[in-house]
Amino acid sequence: MNEQEKINILMVDDQPGKLLTYEAILGELGENLIKARSGKEALDHLLKTEVAVVLMDVSMPELDGFELADMIRQHPRFQKTAIIFISAVHLTDVDRLKAYQHGAMDYISVPVIPELLRAKVRVFADLHRKTQQMETLNRDLRTLSARLIAAQDEERRRIARDLHDSVGQMIAALSINNALVFQEAEKLTPEAADALSQNTALVEQLSKETRTISHLLHPPLLDQIGLLPAIKMFAEGFGERSNVKVTVDLSPEIGRLSPNAEISIFRVVQECLTNVYRHSESKTALIKMWPSEDKLLTLQVRDEGKGMPPSNRAFASAGTKQGVGLSGMRERVRELGGTLEIQSGENGTTVTASFPVANMMAVGV
Amino acid sequence: MGTRFLIVDDNELVRRSLRAVLRTRPGWEVCGEAPDGATAVEMVRNLQPDLVMLDFQMPGMNGIETARRMLEIAPTAPIVLFTQHAGADLEKHALEAGIRSVVSKTNPSSMMGIIEALLSPRGVEQGPESSGPKSCDK
Repeated sequence: MNEQEKINILMVDDQPGKLLTYEAILGELGENLIKARSGKEALDHLLKTEVAVVLMDVSMPELDGFELADMIRQHPRFQKTAIIFISAVHLTDVDRLKAYQHGAMDYISVPVIPELLRAKVRVFADLHRKTQQMETLNRDLRTLSARLIAAQDEERRRIARDLHDSVGQMIAALSINNALVFQEAEKLTPEAADALSQNTALVEQLSKETRTISHLLHPPLLDQIGLLPAIKMFAEGFGERSNVKVTVDLSPEIGRLSPNAEISIFRVVQECLTNVYRHSESKTALIKMWPSEDKLLTLQVRDEGKGMPPSNRAFASAGTKQGVGLSGMRERVRELGGTLEIQSGENGTTVTASFPVANMMAVGV
Repeated sequence: MGTRFLIVDDNELVRRSLRAVLRTRPGWEVCGEAPDGATAVEMVRNLQPDLVMLDFQMPGMNGIETARRMLEIAPTAPIVLFTQHAGADLEKHALEAGIRSVVSKTNPSSMMGIIEALLSPRGVEQGPESSGPKSCDK
């Protein structure tokens, strides 16, 4: 088990004697104790160090504890910092409520019982530690998630390329050979000629199916030509496979983007259309992409189907109910610093993703 | 006088099949084969073929970039793009680059007809159909 890192406890009181007392009481906890004799000192420390708990007297002569708490809470960084108020005065419930309204998380009255103070501080210290751990875990998860998505994309690209380079080329050679034999079909017996026709048809079917698999894995035009033709080609193929009429409206101003941006946007489109096909029962779909004000690039996919169930719409909650597709989409958008919004009702669903243009640009463009 | 073809494709099987089918026409011969764009551009410079059969997806330069380079050297050479990904979107970009036609590798039935049309006197006269290189007298 790791030795736990010490957390910082800030003690604020204008009387040095009191500070020494708190120090004596809290010393046992083995954490870092920081002393501050004024509001200014307290704020200085807060700005310099990561403080887990602030201990302060409510009624210091020079400084109102509540006022200091207010100042602390207004700073976005310190909104969640735990504060324990110590009060000599007998506190009514109204006072306590006032303390909680100031964001205080606990209250201890004087005379301070050492065990009690230690216990309360320990609770907040643990809370702080757990919060830090959670934030680290979150960051790690996000990194892992991004890596997994990238690995998946890379593998799909590789498989599609292999399909093209080996299976695809063999099918091409087969087709051409068939065409060559076909030129001399009159030399064949009827049965042989028939077999040849069948072969030609079979190879064509083989080609079509392999191509579909390959295109679903990785858009063939994306790397070489760019996002817009890749989306158009996908929409066309999708329309044929699904019988959903897809309209594509992509602003021609949009040029090449970074490879990561292009594949991510493509995958979002792919996922949206897949959902349209699988769930919406919509006969039509619209894909729109345009540069909007505020230097944003916005993608929108809209259908006229029956809408998503509310549990899926609740996007903020990362439930396992949502399925990998939706979560993956959210992750891709987030990785590019974008926002994703889903509006869904009985008249259809609209998925809108907006990305800051700065994040989208290819290096060196 | 025969017709001389340059075949460009990174796959040996495809080149072989294409070579065989082209040679079934009297007078048609394959004067060169290239496995990638850079080699193909050099061959165009040296061999000056009558028609180029050009693969789209190759390692290094893709077919469209290769075509652009070729047209800088030989602005009137008809280039046919030859690909597994034939479709309207690719065709648009190919034509913009100066390629004369796009043929599907896996559905080559129209291929011979298209080649003949491009080689016919009328086909040669037509010249590049779109925004190829600006001047031919480099």
